[in-house]
Order: sequence, then C-alpha cells, then structure tokens
Amino acid sequence: MKKTIAILLLALAVAVSANAAPASNEVLVGCLQDITGPTSTLGKMIKEGAQWAVDEINKSGGIKGRQVKLIVYDTRGDVQEAINAFKRLCTSDKVSAIIGPPVANIGIAIAPISEQYKVPVLGFAIDDRATIKPSGQPYKNMFLFQPSSDQQGAIMADFAVRERNLKNFGIIYNQGNAYSVSLVGPFKDTLKNLPGTNVAIEVPYQPNDKDFKTMLSKIKAANVDAIYAPNYTQELILISQQARAIGFNGPLIFGLDACPPFASLCGPEADGVIYINNITESDPQIQDISQAYLQKTGNIATNKFFLGYDVMKIIAKIVETVGDDPEAVQKAVENLTGYVGLTGTITINPATHQTIGLEMIMHEIKNGQPVVLKRYTAPTKK
Amino acid sequence: MSLQIIINGIALGSVYALIAVGFALIFNILKFSNFAHGSIMTASAFLGYLFAIKTKLGLFPVIIVSMLSGGILAILGELIAFRRLVVRKASPIYYFVSSITLGSLYEAIVTIGAGPNFYNYPRFFKKLVISIGNIVISRSDMIMFLTSWLALGLLVVMLAKTRIGRAVRAVSFDRGTASLMGIDTIHHIQLAFFLSGALGGLSGVFLGINYTLYPQLGNLVTKGFIASVIGGLGSMSGAVIGAVLLGLTETLLINFIGSGYAPVFTFLIMLVFLLVHPQGISGSNVQEKA
Repeated sequence: MKKTIAILLLALAVAVSANAAPASNEVLVGCLQDITGPTSTLGKMIKEGAQWAVDEINKSGGIKGRQVKLIVYDTRGDVQEAINAFKRLCTSDKVSAIIGPPVANIGIAIAPISEQYKVPVLGFAIDDRATIKPSGQPYKNMFLFQPSSDQQGAIMADFAVRERNLKNFGIIYNQGNAYSVSLVGPFKDTLKNLPGTNVAIEVPYQPNDKDFKTMLSKIKAANVDAIYAPNYTQELILISQQARAIGFNGPLIFGLDACPPFASLCGPEADGVIYINNITESDPQIQDISQAYLQKTGNIATNKFFLGYDVMKIIAKIVETVGDDPEAVQKAVENLTGYVGLTGTITINPATHQTIGLEMIMHEIKNGQPVVLKRYTAPTKK
Repeated sequence: MSLQIIINGIALGSVYALIAVGFALIFNILKFSNFAHGSIMTASAFLGYLFAIKTKLGLFPVIIVSMLSGGILAILGELIAFRRLVVRKASPIYYFVSSITLGSLYEAIVTIGAGPNFYNYPRFFKKLVISIGNIVISRSDMIMFLTSWLALGLLVVMLAKTRIGRAVRAVSFDRGTASLMGIDTIHHIQLAFFLSGALGGLSGVFLGINYTLYPQLGNLVTKGFIASVIGGLGSMSGAVIGAVLLGLTETLLINFIGSGYAPVFTFLIMLVFLLVHPQGISGSNVQEKA
C-alpha cells in the first residue's frame, strides 16, 4: 500500500513538472514579491499592477505575437525564501527580467547575489544599499524605479520647512526596519541646510511595538511643531490615533504608506496628515484604471499597483525592441530615457541605476480624501 | 506631565489586566500556562469583527458575540487538546505543550482566513478620549480597566460563594478526590475553559480596537503570562495587580530608557520574581505548575 502511494506520488510529481515546462514562445517575466507576510499589502499590489499590465499587453496581441507570462514567487517577508526564489527565476525559469520588491531587507539581500546572474531586477526598495554597492558602484542587475529614500526624505523635509514653515520636528521611527531608518537620515540632513530648523527629539521603536502613547508623549513634551513618522501603514494608523488621543494636534508627516487606503482605515484622525506619493488619485489615467480595478476586484489600487504596472510596461517595451535575452534587457534598462509612465517620466541614471528627476507629489488628507499640495521633481543625487 | 505617564501606565496595565484575568483563571484551576489563550483572543476578535461589519450593530452585541465565540473555541480546544490529558491524569507540562500547539493551530486558521492584513473595527466611540484638565484617558483603556476589575470581582465571588465555584475550586485542589466526592470534573473543567475563553473574547475586542486587528494579536498573551507569574499562582487578584504593575513599569521604562531596552528589564523583573519569590505577590505555594 505504501509502495503504491509512493509510486503514485512520484508519477504525480513528474506529471506536474512536465506541465510546468515553459512554452518557448512566451515572454517570461519574474515577479518577486511578498504576497504573504507583514508587508504583503505592498507586494500584492505590485503584483496586481504588473498582472494588469500583462493582461492589457496580452489582450492587444502580446509582444510581437508572443504572450507574456508573469511568474510570481511569494517571498513571505523571508530573506532566505527570496534568495531561493530569485535563483529559481534566473536559472530554471529563465526569465527575461524580474519585477523586484519594495521591501529594503529583501532587496539588500538579493543585491549581491544578483551579480552572479544576468537577469535585471527592476525593484522599488528605496534604501540605497539595494542598488548601490559599498564602493559606490551600482550592482550590475539592480535598478530602482521610484525615487530613493534620499530623494523622498529630502522632498518631505523641504516641503515641511519651505511650504509650511515648520521649524521643530520630532521623529518617531521603526528602529528595526531598513525602510524606516533610511528615511530618517535624509530628512535630518536636509534640515541641516535649512536655517532655523531642528530635530528636537528622535524616538525609535521596535518592530512589534503597538503602543506609542508614551513615546508620542515624550515628543509632545518637547514642544515640536510637527511629527515625522516614515513607517508602515499599520503603525501609521496607530500613531495617528494615539497622537491625537494624547492631544497632539500639529501636522503629522508620513511617507508613502499614508496613501489610500490609509485614510479610510484610520478614520477621522487621519485628517491633517501630510504625506508623499508617487501618483495622485485624481489624475485621469490613474482614475480609469483604479475604477476598472475596483470594479473587477473590489479593492483599491494603491501607488504600488501603478509602480508595478509601469515597470511591466517598460519591460514589455524593451523586450519588443531588443528581444528577451536578459543581458540585452539589462543594457536597455540601464539606458532607459524619458519613458512616460503613470508614475512619472522615468529616466535611469547609469551611474546609480536609480531614477533621475522622477516626480513625487505631496498630499494632505482633508476629510478623509487626499488633496494635492505640491509636485516635486526629485533632486539629483549628489 | 508625569501624571499623564502614570495614567498611560495604568491604561497599558488595564490592557494587560484583562488578558491576565482570562489567563490566570486557567493558570489557577488547571495549573498550566494556557498559551492558546492568545489565539483564542485573536480568533474570537475576528469573529466579532465579521459580525460587526455584516450586521453593523454597536459595541455591545459585538462583545457578546466575541465572548460567546471565545467560550466555544475554548471548549472545543479543551476537547481537542486537553481532554485526553485530563483523562490520563497527565502532568501539567503536557498541557502547556499542548496549549502552544493548539494556539498555533488557531492562529494559523485565522491567518488563512484573514490573510496577513490588519483590520479596523468600525468606529464604536464617537470621541476616542476623555479629557480631564491636562490629562487624556483613552475611552477603550478606561473600559478595559473597569471591565477587568468587574470580571475579576464576579469571578472571585463566583468561585468563593457559589456551589459551582466551590466545585471548580475542589477540582483545582485535587481532581481525584473531587471526582470521588461526586463532582463531574470534566464538566467543571469545561466551565473554567468557557469562562476563560469568554474573557479572552472580551480582551480580543478591546485589543482590536486599540491596536488594530491582525492575526498575531495573540502574542500579547505573554504579558498576561508575566502578570500571572508576578501576581502569583493561586491568586486572580494578584494577576490583575501584577498586570497593572507591569503596565506601569513598562511605560516608565519606555519613557526613561526607550522602547528597545524596556522588554529586557521587564523580563529581568519576572526572572527576579521567579527566583526570589516564586509564589508571586499574593500567591500560595503549589507543588507543580507548568
């Protein structure tokens, strides 16, 4: 009996692996995201955006008649899982390009390993270490398709001081999270060059903390004008609610993760939050796709959706021009200039593998809705 | 501002106290740390959440639903994870291990159902805080404070004055003799689990309101465990006092040392208690506990 079961399982495994052999006339693109795990909301949205783009491309005939297939691997917020999946995509799946994660610790883990392979990774992890080696040279295959933490931190600081006349800041950030930490430094550095400003107090917290009242009370006691909190959405909700609960009514400056659906999840305490975003929801092109996606799935398309969408379309355009060989794709990505996407006009700087002059938009939440305040062109990396 | 810090500390302590009451009930009756308590809190909180968004009723019905589902889940857990141990008169360490795996099971089921996302209860309180002069107190913290003392009071009265309470206490002292006296031990153990689960459901709802609802919410049961250890085995009021003290200590530590080192000191305090005064603040000496 046991022997029969073993033989049946073996046959099943062979059948499954035979079916999994890729059809040779498909264009294969890898998608390495957290579909489950703590940052799954980000990864799922990138995958959804990429898949939407794939569906659009395939409906209009594919790339020179070839259908596009998105091979998605769930990294589960686990670095080891991500490395294994990355290797699988490069070696056995043989994809032409990989749509990479927005999560810094996964990006940083994959970066050195990507040197051994030829597949370019178009990712969104804004921590510099995910694209640039300690020597200052970029990793051959790592690319960043949204403004880096240096640029985003600088924009937020600049806006807070020049547009809102805020002078004293308190910073609360997740000490154990690379994304959070990477946004603190540039913010502070920008303030150093703006006279009359200072960071009155910096309060780090640990990844699993949920009660911020004491820490926020310390910040409030330092008489700050505004609180800067570059953290993930769940913590932002708690920070907003608890900051208002202890009586702090000044502006709260948040990063990307305060984009919708943050305001609806948080409730009335979200009013007055200022945040940065890659897109603005009222843009007609964005609205068309958001409505269609909402109707199809009942979910709101976040900024990550559009990042995934743009990057997939870029890969498709490149494959159409240079073919599906990963090395050719890598060269084309490195020299990408002036691609007009939904998240802005994208040009890659070959010296850093990051974007040049990509736009970010500062918003404020009024009555639960995002209101555009000012568009910024990301400052050039020094 | 230091009065506000103390209020924050007591508020945090009330969160822990509500967890500790449910946890200490099983700790006292069955002499083991029921680490499934955390995931029962989470699971019943999620069931309450589903009820809340489907029916759009207010806080009170949601609490009733959560408490009922917590009780039922606990009884189910007792059947799956603990019944055979009770029947075979196993030592408390096996209950402890079994409770951890039961907890993992419930948490995994919640994660499959809820996904790794987090959810927010619909807004039950129009105004989140009560302001008295310079001090702000969160409404849900206040309710948790009052409810944990109320639950404690009711439980103590039930255990001390009612017939069923006496039977439960008899079962906790010596199961063999209790059954010889004609007490149905299994039914009374089930009652204890039901009550513990119901309290878990209650804590789950308020934790969800305070900290958003996510599958790992049950990890806060560790604080209930520490509170019970500090408060002492055999004393429910000790567990609640221990929880409030724990909340106060943590808040003061976070304020002065920072959030990174605070847990280190919290665990050090617990270790000191275990070494120096293992019966806790008001506990009595018990031969074996897990």
